[in-house]
Amino acid sequence: MDRYQFEDAISAYLDNELPLSERKAFEDFMNTNPDAKNLVDSIRTNMTSFKTLSPIKASNGFMPNLHKKIEFEKNRPSKKIVNRPSKTLFGFTPLYAGIMTVLVVSFITVGVNLWPESNSPVNTLPAYTGNISGSPNPAPRNPSIGTNQDAILAASESDSADTTIQKKKNFKLGNQVKFVKDQR
Amino acid sequence: MTFVYRFVNDMEQAEDIIQDTMLKLYTHKHYYRNIAKFSTWIYTIAGNLAKTELRKRKNRKVTNISQMGPEDRDYELPSVAPETDEVVQSEYIEKKIQAAIQNLPLHFRTVTILRDIQELSYEEISKIVEVPLGTVKSRINRARLQLQKELKDLK
Repeated sequence: MDRYQFEDAISAYLDNELPLSERKAFEDFMNTNPDAKNLVDSIRTNMTSFKTLSPIKASNGFMPNLHKKIEFEKNRPSKKIVNRPSKTLFGFTPLYAGIMTVLVVSFITVGVNLWPESNSPVNTLPAYTGNISGSPNPAPRNPSIGTNQDAILAASESDSADTTIQKKKNFKLGNQVKFVKDQR
Repeated sequence: MTFVYRFVNDMEQAEDIIQDTMLKLYTHKHYYRNIAKFSTWIYTIAGNLAKTELRKRKNRKVTNISQMGPEDRDYELPSVAPETDEVVQSEYIEKKIQAAIQNLPLHFRTVTILRDIQELSYEEISKIVEVPLGTVKSRINRARLQLQKELKDLK
């Protein structure tokens, strides 16, 4: 233990807060250094004399003055003493309760407006029940529906401005492609 | 009362600070939370008010007669009664100690008064001054060393 460590540990030693090993080292240092021992004794004496200091008592006018100040503070118009009761509505402060109420009311209003009315006619298209190309198990077709749909499709193809559909249909390779044997 | 008087070293100001502390307790009673001892809360308020008062005093740079050290007071006549020797001696020691405490920096002064005069625990002091326990211990140790230097001639 050096001098700095010793000085850092003085209060802990005097307050009996040093572990046993450190206490032993502290006392060894103190026994080998008379100055250190004097320092500890001096601080201990100071601490004892602090405890013997006479307690300070207030003057006789202390309590009347205090009462006067409290009365003045009570009757002060600008700054009344507030006794705040704990105001909560279902665990919310009035501000948060108000905000929550507004949110709930607006949610209900929006929900009612978006809800479909049962008396009004439903203006939706019937679902397509025809065969979807490429489906693994084609559903059995109603012949009456099927002919109508073919007619509609044919009409739409002929009416369409897209001429590539017709070209694709009429495109035939014919004899222009020859299969040759691999020369390698 | 002792804590504030030892802190500001002026009886009138100490009484004012204690009255303000009581007033604050009364007006702010709804802020008290039962997480600490009531005395800790009082010490914190009183300490803060005392610090504010010292700061104001420093800005005003006013010297009261009651703030003078024992060597500055020429109006105190020694008592002639022989049995008062001990009283005079103890008063002298008390004034020397008080002067030494006044020479400490504020953060050392607070913890020293609370520990060595008010005899509070380190934990309580830590809560009052709102600094970690290790800092409190370190400050008390350094304050004691400084006081020892100041009061060397007292023995």
